[in-house]
Amino acid sequence: MRAKRRVEQAKRLLEEVGLESERLEMFNLGASDAALFVAACNEMTERARRLGPNPLKRGKVK
Amino acid sequence: MIVAARKPFEEIKEKVQGYKKLLVLGCGTCVSVCMAGGEREVKLLATQLRMANQLGNKDVEIGEATIQRQCDREYIEPIVEMAKNYDAVFSMACGAGVQLVADMLEPIPVIPALNTRFIGVTEAEGVWVERCHACGDCMLDKTGGICPVTRCAKSLLDGPCGGSVEGKCEISPDIPCAWQIIIDRLEALGQLDKLEEIAPPRDWSTSHAGGPRRITVEY
Repeated sequence: MRAKRRVEQAKRLLEEVGLESERLEMFNLGASDAALFVAACNEMTERARRLGPNPLKRGKVK
Repeated sequence: MIVAARKPFEEIKEKVQGYKKLLVLGCGTCVSVCMAGGEREVKLLATQLRMANQLGNKDVEIGEATIQRQCDREYIEPIVEMAKNYDAVFSMACGAGVQLVADMLEPIPVIPALNTRFIGVTEAEGVWVERCHACGDCMLDKTGGICPVTRCAKSLLDGPCGGSVEGKCEISPDIPCAWQIIIDRLEALGQLDKLEEIAPPRDWSTSHAGGPRRITVEY
């Protein structure tokens, strides 16, 4: 899948820059997979709390 | 086309250290097709540099531009004045483009962002392979359109070496023996008799051994 490869590339680019690649993730789930959706949301919420605010948000990027 | 690949980001960051205004300059021809130095890659690299600079609390202004070809003066001329506003230019062209831009923008330093790899073709989506060595003395008519200079690891001109095993090259089981596929092709073409002719010692002066090459066309 092209989207999956693009997300993997974007994660590599983030790592190169010095940002945690965990800030980005792609989950595959169906429209009826409510339990999986909740798990994915919880996972990303936990990651966001652990990693803290995006350090680039401290100021506007030039 | 000329196929290139972007240098590792760590190397790129090292090369641009100390500059306060940097222009990332893309090339819209070969390196754009092989997704190494076109407009999209310029945006990606410029964005990465901005993010890395901000994370490192560095105040660096990054500009972006892409011209159709960096190997032609007429395409570089329109950006010469604009480029003078920068401390350095980061060229995302092949080595030829980098050199011509450096000639035309002197005394502005021009830094290569890519490693120029080879002349090749698209094998699959996102995969390019070498097909031409630019040896200057093409013999593809004798070898069924398959270049032994490029595709044989030893550039042999008179058939396979002893390292050809079950059609594969001894340097890697993933690489077909060039001479195996040449023989297969000539057989399919009904031209196996071409192999009866012994190739004479090659004149490599048409290749890079003779120094920088030049072609002049009379109009």
